Parts: sequence; C-alpha cells; structure tokens
Amino acid sequence: MDNQTWEIGGKTLNSRMLIGSALYPNPANMQDAIKESEAQIVTVALRRQSAGDGGGDDFWNIIKELNINVLPNTAGSHSAKEAITTAQMAREVFGTNWIKLEVIGDQYNLQPDPFETLKAAEVLIKDGFEVFPYTTDDLVVAKRLVDVGCKILMPWGSPIGSGQGLMNPANLKAIRKQFPELKLIVDAGIGKPSDAIEAMELGYDGILLNSAIALAQDPVKMARAFKYATMAGRLGYEAGTMQKREFASPSTPTVGTPFWHQFD
Amino acid sequence: MIKVSVNGEIKEIEDGLNIVELIEVLEYKTKGFAVAINTTFVPISEYKSRTIKNGDTIDILAPVQGG
Repeated sequence: MDNQTWEIGGKTLNSRMLIGSALYPNPANMQDAIKESEAQIVTVALRRQSAGDGGGDDFWNIIKELNINVLPNTAGSHSAKEAITTAQMAREVFGTNWIKLEVIGDQYNLQPDPFETLKAAEVLIKDGFEVFPYTTDDLVVAKRLVDVGCKILMPWGSPIGSGQGLMNPANLKAIRKQFPELKLIVDAGIGKPSDAIEAMELGYDGILLNSAIALAQDPVKMARAFKYATMAGRLGYEAGTMQKREFASPSTPTVGTPFWHQFD
Repeated sequence: MIKVSVNGEIKEIEDGLNIVELIEVLEYKTKGFAVAINTTFVPISEYKSRTIKNGDTIDILAPVQGG
C-alpha cells in the first residue's frame, strides 16, 4: 500500500483516519471495526458510572488491547470550565495530553461554541495539552484558535451524527488555503466513503468519524471502505486534480479518426 | 452525617471523609476513574488530603465509548 505517513501531536502515523468508539452494535464489533479501519487514533470519553458495575474498566481494557493512540474528548461540555475539568480528568485516566476539545453551544444541532472553545483551548494549551479543537468551518474562529496556540483544527463537515457530508466545502477549502502548515481534520458529519474522499481531496490531513461506520449495516466492512476512501482521497490530492473545463474535450486522439468525411 | 451529591445522586455520608475513604464507602468498583469536586478536578495526589464537605458535588468519571 502507498506510504501515507504523516505527523500529528508529536506522533508519526500511517493512517489518516481517526475513528470513534461509540454506537457499535457490541464491543466485539467495535474492536473488529477499529482493527479493520487500521486507524491509529481512537476517540474515547468519560462519564459517570454507577458504583457497582466496574464497566469502565472493561471498555478501557478493550481499547488498550488495540494498542493505538487514544484521543479523549470533552463531549457533553457546555462551558470552558466543564471542558477544562473533563480534559484534566481524561489526562489522568487515559495517560495522554491529547484532548479532543468539544464545547457544545447549541443543543439542536450540537454546534460547537466558538467563544467557550477558544477560552478552553487557551487554558489547556498553557497547561501542556495537545488540543484537537472541534470547531465550525468559520475562518475567523480558526484564526483565533491558531492565535492561542492550536496546531490542529478540526472543523465540522456537518452536524455530529447527521451523515450529511461536507455542507460547505468552500469554507473548508478556505481554511486549508489560509493555514497550509496546520494539521486539519474534518470532524463530524461524514456519512459515506465519498464524503471522506472529498475531505481528503480538499487537502485535509485526516478525517474523524464514528457514526458512519458504527451505524452502517456492516460496520466492519464500512470501516474497510473508509480506510480505502481516506487513502484514495489523499492520493488524489497529492496527485493533483485536473482543471475543470467548460466544454467537452475528446480524450481519444482525433488524428487518424476512421470513417471520417470519407466522401465529402 | 453530611449530604453530598455523588454522580447526581444525593447521599448521606460520615463527616470528615477524604476521597480515598469516600470511594471505599461507595464501594466504587471501577479502577480507572478521575474525580472532580464542585466542577474542579482533584488529582490523585490530593485524594488523602481532600476532605469532603457538606453540600459538595462530586463527580467520579470512568472511561466510556466516545466519538
């Protein structure tokens, strides 16, 4: 397979797909799908659990068996304060300074709150975290996040879990153009492999997805589909796509065309 | 006895417990967890020195699936 090595958060990786661990039919299926995807980063979370069940350990052991990088999230946070506390707790439990910073500003479409995300990012970066901020495709918000020290940005394709694909490729393209050195990952909204290809063809460094794989009829097969889609999109970007033309232009040579104007 | 909120449930516990003692009293089984009191993270290094107070809101979080 083609070498697609890249670096993010101080690690060198081969896979450009970041995969979620939620919503699979069962834990074994989750493990199989993640393995099949060959993703090297998996997202996890922290939640309250009842005292007696010990369930958190079972999940954490499954994830540890995968032997890949863990990216904890701050999902469910509605303020910078909540996100910062969750990040600090996650660093202790999961033993990583990586954090997917997610501060929700609207419960209807789960749109990130740019103001609280920015506040939290600034504090967390000063506290030694590698922040992977989930943000909208707003260029100015992206600029502000970069100003406070973010080296990675994760603009949404469309709302979390919607599977609507890339709502606004032009905005995503503008962010890519503005920040050629930044690690950019399309997070949220990817629904099918062609969405992953589109994101990668825009020059994004990676994609983060969960529902599209976990909610597929066959998550393991879909994980494989996304693995190839991510690779194909990246190869397409690196190869450089042709310029669009307004009119048709024959690809087969016209010189020597047979049966042409024979008796004119 | 004092009243505290643990993971959203009101509980009556003995006064003067630290976090290690609270975990024992709750019979909390998960080994990998982190604690916040009143929405502020409490690192493991402070578990013995941090005394639970009446009215505290305690969150004990453990790993789960996430996207």
